[in-house]
Amino acid sequence: MRERTALLVTATRYTLVEHSRNRFAAVLIALFLPLWTLLAYVSMPDQPVRLRLRATGELLTPRGNELTAVSGALNAVTLITAFLMFAATFGGSMFDRRLAMAGFPRPHLIAAKLAGLTLASALVAAYATAVICLAWTPRQPLLLAGALFSAGLTYGILGVGFGALLRKEVEGMFAIVMTSVIDLALQNPIISSRADSAITHFLPSYGAMQAATAAAFSRTAVPGHLLVELTWFAAAALVGLLTFQWRTRSTLPSNRRAPRGNGPRPAEPRPLPEG
Amino acid sequence: MEVVDVHHHYGKRRVLRGIDFTLPAGALTGVVGENGTGKSTLLKILAGELRPARGSVRHGGRFGYCPQKVVINDALTVRQHLSYFRAAFRLDDLAHAGEVMEVLGFTDYIDERAGLLSGGTRQKLNVTLALMHDPQVLLLDEPYQGFDWETYLRFWDLAARLRERGRSILVVSHLAYDAERLDTLWRLDGGRLRTQERGAA
Repeated sequence: MRERTALLVTATRYTLVEHSRNRFAAVLIALFLPLWTLLAYVSMPDQPVRLRLRATGELLTPRGNELTAVSGALNAVTLITAFLMFAATFGGSMFDRRLAMAGFPRPHLIAAKLAGLTLASALVAAYATAVICLAWTPRQPLLLAGALFSAGLTYGILGVGFGALLRKEVEGMFAIVMTSVIDLALQNPIISSRADSAITHFLPSYGAMQAATAAAFSRTAVPGHLLVELTWFAAAALVGLLTFQWRTRSTLPSNRRAPRGNGPRPAEPRPLPEG
Repeated sequence: MEVVDVHHHYGKRRVLRGIDFTLPAGALTGVVGENGTGKSTLLKILAGELRPARGSVRHGGRFGYCPQKVVINDALTVRQHLSYFRAAFRLDDLAHAGEVMEVLGFTDYIDERAGLLSGGTRQKLNVTLALMHDPQVLLLDEPYQGFDWETYLRFWDLAARLRERGRSILVVSHLAYDAERLDTLWRLDGGRLRTQERGAA
């Protein structure tokens, strides 16, 4: 038990070190997130927009700029966590495989990645909520942070999936951006007249968008929609986990892998080579 | 290590057409061959990175694999790499890693981030990660790329020392002047391994 904990602590520590050294992600968090969110707030018209929130059934009339700022924050959080995890997975998949083949338990590596993603999503979501609070005070700030957090988790896992499956960095970045554009644009009532279509229920950030909109403009709590988002996360995580297992597998018979507790030992004599 | 009837192909291109050998303890064996003849494919199969289309590979104990492409994490320091792989290999200490680093001459870089290291020093770390658990069988794919001449010579001293301790070492190389340092030299040609006279490498 102590060994397992030590392995998990080691993997988590180095996962966090790796994330903390992603300077581009740090710049995106520091600059892109507030810029996108606050520009949306300042530049969009502040006329009320009528929309029926599916999560509560309420008819809401939020200001257009506030609604766009919520959508912008969601967009920024999801892009940043997806990029962070994509970069770590794309650049580190061979290293992860080397670690796994050296004997590092894959469940511990996966748990460390999830811990890193959870911490990163929590920090970015808290920061995005604080930025929104600079513009106006949402009705339920904690629920808003929860919605951004759950969307960050989901897109972080999508970043892991893209990082494991795609061959070029530009392919991954394009996949992340296009997924986010399609996902959020179809749900935005300002730019899409089909924003209440049933199709939107199946989009990756549907639960988070409903919860974030309710958090920003309603007093009604919508924990069910946070659960919807976390279900998306869990499903994506399952696919990501299977992809990770597949990418780090050894083709050798399992009993021939590096044994545990292997300090230096003398080699056993073997027959001489043929020919 | 025992390799039986290993075949592999990429699409219709057959790369390996029946590889059989047993790697003995305490031997330094080389595999040479022209570019694209399947040397790295063979080593990936031996290391468990690639499943052969046919045939089997059996390892008798711990093995270490140094891939041709450097596989390290640019965000971590050399010390952090050693600590990470010490946990992976469940080593009590880093004595052997320290010995390898001393021989390869890069102990001064212990706290440098891998992303800031020169190509040759990155390769030294790549080799150290393959050797640090003192494997019984060592698979090295062109392990001295980027080494300066002194380091190249020290690497062969290290290989000779490991052989004396009963370790099996298989080195993929394209360098003719490595031949005299080897006990056995095989040439991969037409998808098959053939014993090669060392003067002819």
